[in-house]
Amino acid sequence: MIDLPFLTDTFLKLAAALPVTLGLFFSSFVLGGLLALVILAMRMSRNPLLSGFARGYILVFRGSPLMIQLFLIYYGLGQFELIRHSFVWPVLREPFFCAVVSLALCTASYTAEIFRGGLLAIPAGQIEAGMACGMSRWLLLRRIVAPIMLRYALPAYSTEAILLVKSTALASLVTVWDVTGVAQQIIQRTYRTMEVFICAALIYLILNFIIVQIYAWIERRLTPRLRAVEAATAQPVPHAIAGEKHD
Amino acid sequence: MTNYAPTTLSMKEIRKSFGSLEVLKGISLDARKGDVISILGASGSGKSTFLRCINLLEMPDSGVVSVAGETIEMKRHTRGHQLAANQRQVESLRSRLGMVFQSFNLWSHMTVLQNVIEGPLYVLKRNKKECIEQAEKILDRVGLLNRKDFYPAQLSGGQQQRVAIARALAMEPEVMLFDEPTSALDPELVGDVLKVMRNLAEEGRTMLVVTHEMGFARNVSNRVVFMHQGTIDCQGTPEEMFGEQGSPRFKQFISSHQAG
Repeated sequence: MIDLPFLTDTFLKLAAALPVTLGLFFSSFVLGGLLALVILAMRMSRNPLLSGFARGYILVFRGSPLMIQLFLIYYGLGQFELIRHSFVWPVLREPFFCAVVSLALCTASYTAEIFRGGLLAIPAGQIEAGMACGMSRWLLLRRIVAPIMLRYALPAYSTEAILLVKSTALASLVTVWDVTGVAQQIIQRTYRTMEVFICAALIYLILNFIIVQIYAWIERRLTPRLRAVEAATAQPVPHAIAGEKHD
Repeated sequence: MTNYAPTTLSMKEIRKSFGSLEVLKGISLDARKGDVISILGASGSGKSTFLRCINLLEMPDSGVVSVAGETIEMKRHTRGHQLAANQRQVESLRSRLGMVFQSFNLWSHMTVLQNVIEGPLYVLKRNKKECIEQAEKILDRVGLLNRKDFYPAQLSGGQQQRVAIARALAMEPEVMLFDEPTSALDPELVGDVLKVMRNLAEEGRTMLVVTHEMGFARNVSNRVVFMHQGTIDCQGTPEEMFGEQGSPRFKQFISSHQAG
């Protein structure tokens, strides 16, 4: 009943489309992350125009379906003469770049809010301690605020990365031949929906498993608490401390 | 005893309001080199706010702050409140004042050693090797050298506070400011922190200490300042204050403290 040769063949064909999926993911992840920092800075700004713009941006891109955003960018923008004749057209003409742009715009809105949550969670005292020893704003941001923010934001940020991997599948709707796109192509030829989509799902699952591992590794590296637990299992130091009188 | 050393810290006519509540009603205080000044007062008397005005963590509405003869330049915002004219000057002032907080405020993502070298390394831009050597010396003095690779969360409150003192000392400050350094500690941990502070006082460090520890005020400091509702109610040497000269209000304050 299980057609192993077909499954292997399909899996290999889908795996061949992996570079496209990875390309979509990494470019939108990096672009979206950078854009998120800009949006975050605006959102936290005391200038009502800047923070208002950031609020509006987040409302629109977090509040409307990514698929519609993608269609608007791919099908919608091309209708304007102005855009077809502008310098952005070589980019917006390509389905791949359209997908990257819309994924990045959308993930930036989520990521900005995730970062903002991390920022607000920083204990005020630790920022004050930095100010009290004479740190400039920039030094404070670099040495205290950003590292602590990242630690608080990391769990939610890993979820956002996973959602982004899955969102890349939408690119197949605008004729990008990513894993999902190729899967649909195979189905149209073979009508074997079940097997092909299971293969595709498996590929996304493996990809996300790897991403989860990477984030877990970063989290372990960055969070003293988790490292302390590791140390406890490796050597009995903390037991000695717990038993010792506080000096 | 009278201290004839030069003035290192001078606060003149400091005023501060939060909304309609006037917390500081024109407070002036000078500290000479080597002074250990205890600032006492009921909660809400403005003593912490006053201390925070010294290193401008709180910006006074009016008044003059100067350290070692250098006065912080202020300017008026168009809306009327005061702000520092030169942020660089504020940063340099803060680097010369060590601050120890009630809630320790150690940086949770850094080890003890990293906490202590952070300021000298990045604010004073000193050589890393020297920073580490100096930090280890200071940590040894507060009795925590064997904890240098621990994270703050792995230490007791008393240990964290001693690290916080070490962190402030590493900047080689001209004045140390303590904002209720033992108030967040379990009673059995208070002693070690006070011992470290007493050693610092005996070394001749200039210290301003907001505290509820009557023993420290009485036995370690050379001047006691009692604040009440945003003003200095009375001040003097511990002998004067705890003897005959303290105001009736101060006498009432210490008797309620001893009872409690």
